[in-house]
Amino acid sequence: MEKTVTLAHGAGGKQTSELIDTIFKAHFSNPELTADDAAVLDIGGGKIAFTTDGFIVSPFEFPGGNIGKLSICGTVNDLSCMGAKPQYLSCAFVIEEGFPMDKLEEIAAAMEKTAAEAGVKIVAGDTKVAGRGQVDKIFITTTGIGKISENVRTSGAYAKPGDAVIVTGDIGRHGCTILLARDEFGIDAKVTSDCAPLWANVEKMLGVTSDIHVIRDATRGGVGTVLYEIAGQSGTGILLDQEKIPVEPEVRGVCGMLGLEPLYLACEGRLVVVVPKDKADAVLDALRGCKYSENAAVIGEITEENAGKVVMKTAVGTKTLLPQPGGELLPRIC
Amino acid sequence: MCVGLSARVVSVEDGTAVIDAEGAKRSVSADLLEDLEPGDYVMVHAGVAIAKITDDDENESKEVLESI
Amino acid sequence: MTETIEKAKSTITGYNGKKLRIMEVCGTHTHEMFRLGIRGLLPESIDLISGPGCPVCVTPVGYIDEAVMLALEKNAVICTFGDLIRVPGTEMSLAGARSRGGDIRPVYSPLDAVEIAKNEPDRQIVFLAVGFETTTPSACIAVKKARKLGLDNFSILAANKTMPNAYKALMSSVDAYLYPGHVNAITGTAVCEEMKKLGVSGVVAGFTASELITAIAVIIEKSKTGEPFFVNCYPRVVTAEGNIPAQKLMAEVMEPCDSEWRGLGVIPMSGMKLRDEYSELDARIKFDLPKISGKANPACRCGDVLQGKCKPSDCKVFGKVCTPQHPVGACMVSTEGACSAYYQYGGAELK
Repeated sequence: MEKTVTLAHGAGGKQTSELIDTIFKAHFSNPELTADDAAVLDIGGGKIAFTTDGFIVSPFEFPGGNIGKLSICGTVNDLSCMGAKPQYLSCAFVIEEGFPMDKLEEIAAAMEKTAAEAGVKIVAGDTKVAGRGQVDKIFITTTGIGKISENVRTSGAYAKPGDAVIVTGDIGRHGCTILLARDEFGIDAKVTSDCAPLWANVEKMLGVTSDIHVIRDATRGGVGTVLYEIAGQSGTGILLDQEKIPVEPEVRGVCGMLGLEPLYLACEGRLVVVVPKDKADAVLDALRGCKYSENAAVIGEITEENAGKVVMKTAVGTKTLLPQPGGELLPRIC
Repeated sequence: MCVGLSARVVSVEDGTAVIDAEGAKRSVSADLLEDLEPGDYVMVHAGVAIAKITDDDENESKEVLESI
Repeated sequence: MTETIEKAKSTITGYNGKKLRIMEVCGTHTHEMFRLGIRGLLPESIDLISGPGCPVCVTPVGYIDEAVMLALEKNAVICTFGDLIRVPGTEMSLAGARSRGGDIRPVYSPLDAVEIAKNEPDRQIVFLAVGFETTTPSACIAVKKARKLGLDNFSILAANKTMPNAYKALMSSVDAYLYPGHVNAITGTAVCEEMKKLGVSGVVAGFTASELITAIAVIIEKSKTGEPFFVNCYPRVVTAEGNIPAQKLMAEVMEPCDSEWRGLGVIPMSGMKLRDEYSELDARIKFDLPKISGKANPACRCGDVLQGKCKPSDCKVFGKVCTPQHPVGACMVSTEGACSAYYQYGGAELK
């Protein structure tokens, strides 16, 4: 049977990486193209990070933000994850014929505000209008560059056994918010997206130590997916403490109703940070003093054993494997 | 099979109950339970309250283990 | 954990008596045993077999083919529990049908499908009614509601199943059943008492860590007597008589029929179908569906896995051709299936 692209290929899990490996990597492969959030390029006079991201969220506005804010945060955070101070962004809009002008204005205003907060300038753009039905209301692609400070080197590949794994706040709120905003399951809960630009948080951490091994933003696929990527890139194992993972009660309630795992719900303002154990407390203190990461917590450690796997310490004192993320998130009921 | 959710009843009207699980609320059918009242705990499955319950599994376990 | 639970836990970890084959007959039990790390507590002398209690897994290939046909050829909107969307049919899954233009919508409840039918009178809405006694009442409520609202654009494709004859079909493979708590919440415990008379022990179990530990510890303690036993370890939810309005409702709307279980074949009188009085709500009649018998992959040993005759890892296709991304057999398709749980949680020798 003819192979086609499915929603699972876009869900951020195993099928997404298969698609990237078999199609895109096969055609685009070069030393600068890595599995990290942004490419690190040496263009003379220091290193820069360079990245791009497309946004197709439906609905385009949701509690805690809209697609405009999201499109700035996504690219700003990808740059920040490489330890790069975000400097310039471009944005490309694909807008469906008939899209309300005042909504477009709101989206642009959110982008302006978020860019100002993150300290980046939007310096180039492109606008296309597609016929009705050819796109779903509005798609935005942002591309950004940022400058990497000297001595900073982060990558999923640098996680080392003994390192502490930190998450910068409660998880799964963005994914949960979108799920509820689509109103497909009739659930009502006070959850707002965690969508936020996080350069200030990264800058603060780098002020404490430049010895930060990994910074990743846990977007599509959630914290679970990012942890598997780190384990895979670095050839280590990750041991999580089930009870230490911060989850808001409402998010837990929604997940309970639909049989979903919060570790696989998207965040748009949460980082996974891997640091040497002796730096963990200082980094945690720095994070807790910043907006958006007041509830940062150590959730586990990098291990030599169980390479490539993410393992959970359970409440009954045993260990169990965190299932590999894969496919689209579907509610489990029967 | 049968993912169940233990939740508190917030209100009941015309065979429909609004239930609350840690702040997540939803309307579910109350057709299968008689005399449901706000404050009751129920087990919910696929949008239907299937049993009135108590919300304390550890105490239950203690009683079961002591009884055998 | 309380002191009592700690004690129960050490009853389990310290057990070294005769081999005990415990079968959990609920996919949610399978899933939670892994997720909560309960499996990690079990000594070698306890064999935990994952039985046929995942309704998605035991739904036959032909059923998916029927749903795909409804979506693509009859242009019906398919409303389904999310669990079914990835299950492979002979040609394709419902996810495959969706990528070819089929309108497939996951719902939380069959009542939501009735709501969709009310709001979209120009579309035919079909709800895929799978599940055991826990789930069947929700489909019956939906059927009655659709009739009350006079909706002529709602129907169900029924593949509901009942547990008792499956218990009997599998009883030679087990020493004690871990009965599915939420099924018993509806049916009560008479069937468990009947199994005890047939010489098969069991306990009704809940789903939290302390409930699962309690249930297994009770099986160990009671097995020492050598006599068949039954204990309700989930009394906060399960009563002896069960949910009587639900039982009456099921008997009013549906009747027993022979039913095919993926991997096990036809088990007599183990299914439920709509009574003749409700035939206008039966999608098979409404859309005049032909009899479809789907083809399962012959290399797959799901039938043996479900009967505890082999472990998932003993099957030749397990983890190679058959993975959660590309499931071949019944037990790999749902995250609650035995093979999927073994695969995802490693079955695993974790250090």
